[in-house]
Amino acid sequence: MSETHIQIDNVNAYYSGHPALKNISVQIPKKQITAIIGPSGCGKSTLLKCMNRLIDLTDEVTYSGRILIDNEDIFDRKTDIVNIRKKMGLLAQKPTPLPMSIYENIAYGPKIHGLRKKQDIDAIVEKYLKLVGLWDEVKNRLNSPASQLSVGQQQRLCLARGLAVEPEIILCDEPTSALDPVSSQHIEQQLLKLKKDYTIVIVTHNIHQAMRLADYVIHLYLGEMVEHGPANEVFENPKDERTRAYIDGTFLADVKIDKVIDTKGNQCPYNFVYAKQALHDLEKGKTLKIIVDDPTAVTEVPRGMEADGHEVLSVKQKNETDWEIVIKKKG
Amino acid sequence: MELRRVEESIFKVLMILSLLIVVGSLLGVIGTILWKGLPVLSIDMLTKTAEGGYYLGKGGGILGAIAGSLYLALGGTALAFFLSIGIAFYLQKEYSGGTRLSNMTRLSLDILWGTPSIVYGAFGFAVMMYFHMRASLIAGIIVLALLELPIMTRAMEEVIKTVPRELKEVSYSLGATRLETTLRVVSKQALPGLMTGVLIAFGRGIGDAASIMFTAGYTDRIPTSLFDSTSSLPLAIFYQLGSPLPQVQQKAYASAVILLAIVLAISITTRFFSRKYTKYIIK
Repeated sequence: MSETHIQIDNVNAYYSGHPALKNISVQIPKKQITAIIGPSGCGKSTLLKCMNRLIDLTDEVTYSGRILIDNEDIFDRKTDIVNIRKKMGLLAQKPTPLPMSIYENIAYGPKIHGLRKKQDIDAIVEKYLKLVGLWDEVKNRLNSPASQLSVGQQQRLCLARGLAVEPEIILCDEPTSALDPVSSQHIEQQLLKLKKDYTIVIVTHNIHQAMRLADYVIHLYLGEMVEHGPANEVFENPKDERTRAYIDGTFLADVKIDKVIDTKGNQCPYNFVYAKQALHDLEKGKTLKIIVDDPTAVTEVPRGMEADGHEVLSVKQKNETDWEIVIKKKG
Repeated sequence: MELRRVEESIFKVLMILSLLIVVGSLLGVIGTILWKGLPVLSIDMLTKTAEGGYYLGKGGGILGAIAGSLYLALGGTALAFFLSIGIAFYLQKEYSGGTRLSNMTRLSLDILWGTPSIVYGAFGFAVMMYFHMRASLIAGIIVLALLELPIMTRAMEEVIKTVPRELKEVSYSLGATRLETTLRVVSKQALPGLMTGVLIAFGRGIGDAASIMFTAGYTDRIPTSLFDSTSSLPLAIFYQLGSPLPQVQQKAYASAVILLAIVLAISITTRFFSRKYTKYIIK
């Protein structure tokens, strides 16, 4: 295992007396992606918020234990938390641009940390917008409100904003749960690129995302850490029964696929029309797997199918270009 | 018909009725003032100060009252603003943490809000007597600021409370301090609401007669220093209406039109100039 970056020792947290985290001790490796997985309400986000002590903003919360980052205990009241937070970029669940222009959103962090010269700030804004692949889309409207961007663009802006204060760690709290598949994929690719230079901790309830991204996995269940370890070990051979159940449960192992159609090379709306036809030929309750390679279809086919009253069981990326959509016929 | 349906329609009628009363009274007030005031409104009223015997039907205008009211209300609102903004932020949980002091402050503000303005006037007058001061612009400004303070503070506090926590979290996570977060993020997001608070308080301040009657006094001249006594529109309306002469009484309505126009103009210009900043708000 590589060098430890964040050391968590016996961390307990309580919301108005109710335990949310029970005795968590784990070491988060440097310059790798660590995924915290588990069902809703298991304490994933609480653990993440402990790491930059944003948990202080929550009412009626108490916590104990130790979290060491670069040998500084961030739970220690004497620690300068403002400076510690600077080391940790945060990517929230919902894209949250600040109420200012695109440019000012990126410049906000560097400015509060004392950067004054216009050309330095300009350079930072350009550098990080380029890093997240947003520069070409926004370079002509840097002064328009950040809220005018699409949700996917906003999330990339938030990533760039976090990176602009030059953190060592990126904390992500279900960063793609509000995004469409294409934007999610974009963010995931960014994270994979960034792990070269940053320690990344991602909270996710999407096990496929954890599999695609994680090098190290922590599984929380009702505030307890039931398993942790390198990703391949945890996913291929989970030691804990609860982890096994959680991983299996989210797979569609027991869903029988009745028909597969391949619409690769087709564009919207043809792939949708073919899928509709194929589904029409099936009996009620049967399942259809559609393979698409058109980015628009990844969002539009499931949406259209849902509008027709069918159930979308999963949307999964197979490789660089191909996606699998599994639909169950209803109605 | 079923009883529940009857209930439903009765309450619907009651609600529509109350709505009509509100809209009707607003239209009634504006309509009466315009109908009675507009015909007598003249350039002289706007550009001349009152000549001797103005209230007995002699010539002149109420420029002194217009200027006085603007000085009083703008001064009072500005003073109240600087106090309110600090209190409103302090009352937030991040700062005071819901302490006893903040609860006491909130209670005091609510009581002050309900205090009749004549009581403010009497209080100001008592203090002035103690220090042997004469009625003056500065005394009027201070009393008006006290009158506006609770309205402005409570309105601002509610607005600041609605700023999404995520925005603050983002700012803190970038290493900002509480003050930086407050000044650069929270106040930007809350700006339109803060302005509404200021405008409501301004409207209350410029229209109040009782609190400034003894503290700012009344004169025909435009004040040239903070220690001069000053006239004001609400009192001008009061004295004109009190006159036995119908032509003077009519001028009271014209003065009311002016008062209304000032409030409207201030409101519109403020919103116009703040548009530049409010377009960045996160909805």
